[in-house]
Amino acid sequence: MDSGKVLHQEKRNYFEIGLDLDGFMRYGAWQIKEIIDLTLQPLKTQHERFFFTLDKGVNKAEIEVNVYYYISGKKGDLIHQAKKVIVFPELE
Amino acid sequence: MKIWLFCFVLLWTFPIWASEEELRFPSKPIDDLQTFIKTYSSERCADCHEDVYKQWKESYHSRSMVSSIKGITNFFLVGVPKEWEKELTKKEILKCLDCHLPQIKYATERLAIEIAELMITARKAKGAEKEKAIATLSKLNLSCYGCHNIKVASSAPGITGEIDPNVIYTANEDVEAEHETDYHPALKRSVFCMQCHGVYHAPDGESIYCNTLSRSYADNYLGQGGRKSCQECHMYQKNRGHRMPGGHDLEIVKEGIELQAEIQGFRYGVGKWVPAVNVEAFLTNKAGHRVPDG
Repeated sequence: MDSGKVLHQEKRNYFEIGLDLDGFMRYGAWQIKEIIDLTLQPLKTQHERFFFTLDKGVNKAEIEVNVYYYISGKKGDLIHQAKKVIVFPELE
Repeated sequence: MKIWLFCFVLLWTFPIWASEEELRFPSKPIDDLQTFIKTYSSERCADCHEDVYKQWKESYHSRSMVSSIKGITNFFLVGVPKEWEKELTKKEILKCLDCHLPQIKYATERLAIEIAELMITARKAKGAEKEKAIATLSKLNLSCYGCHNIKVASSAPGITGEIDPNVIYTANEDVEAEHETDYHPALKRSVFCMQCHGVYHAPDGESIYCNTLSRSYADNYLGQGGRKSCQECHMYQKNRGHRMPGGHDLEIVKEGIELQAEIQGFRYGVGKWVPAVNVEAFLTNKAGHRVPDG
C-alpha cells in the first residue's frame, strides 16, 4: 500500500454494445430496431464477485471499489466508492 | 376627474387585452425563421412564469437542438440520403425534430429544410459561420408550447379529444391564468414523456430508436412492481421542477444507483499463504428504467 502501486485491477461494464441480435453494428437511431442490452436493469441488483491474489510480499493493501458513470463515452465520473485497508496476517 | 377615471380603465384593461393578443398562435404554417423563433419562444412565458422559465433554461429541453447536432445531422447526412437514398424533406426531418423541436409541425416545408440545413452548417462549417448557426439554433428548442400544447395533442387524442392550439394545457387542476388555460391529466402521466423518451414511431411506420427509456419503464420497471411516474422522480422530488434532470445530472444518477461492497482480505493456500482478496459488489438500479440509457 505504501508503494502507491496498483497491484490489481478488474472492471465490469454496463452498456448497450451497439449490436443487433444478428451481431451487426447499429449505432444510428434510425438503424436500431432491437439491440443487445447489457445495462443495469430497473429494480434489479447486479452481483459481481472479484477474487484475486497478490504477490507474496504484500502485507497491506487498500482495496477500492469504484463506480464510474460515462455520459459521453469519454468522460467518466466517479459516482460511488467503497474502500477498505486490509492488513494480511503473518502466517507460518 | 374624468381623466383620472379614463387612465384607470386603461391600466386595468390593457394587460388582459395584451395577454390574449400575445398568446394567439398562427393557424397556418410559418415560413420565416425569425417569426417562427419568436412565435414559439419560451421567453413569451418568462415574464409571468419566471421561476419555471429559469428551471427550464437549465434543462436539456432548452437546448434540445444544440445538444444533439451530431446525432441529428448523422441522420440528415447519412441515414436519409445515403442509407435510405431519400431526399431530405419535412417528413424525414420530423423523425428527429418532432421531439427535438415539436413546433416544426407549424413550419412550412421550406422552413423545415432551412432549419435542417442550419443544423448541418452548425456541424460542418467553421469559425463565424458555425458560431452564427449555433447561436440561431440555441433559440430553437423544446419550448413551453411544445409540451404544454403540441405534445399534449399527441399524447392520447382518442381519449382527450381535440386540442386547441391557443390553449396552454397544465397539470394543475385549479390553475388560473390570464391566458386561455386548461387542465390536462396527460401532463402528469409517464405516457406523456414516453412519446419522446423512447422509440419514436413515425406516421410512415418507421421507428427511431433514440433511446429506450420508455420500453424499459413500461415493460420492465412497471412489470416488476415499480409504480412511480417519470414526473415523480424527475420533477416532483426535491423540487426539481422543469429542470427535469436526467442522465446528464450526477446527483440524480447517484440516487438511481446504489453500491454495497463487502471487502475481505485473507491468506490463501495451505502452506503458501498467498495474500488474497475477495470483493462482493452489489449494484442496485433504483431508477424506473435501465441505466445507462439515453
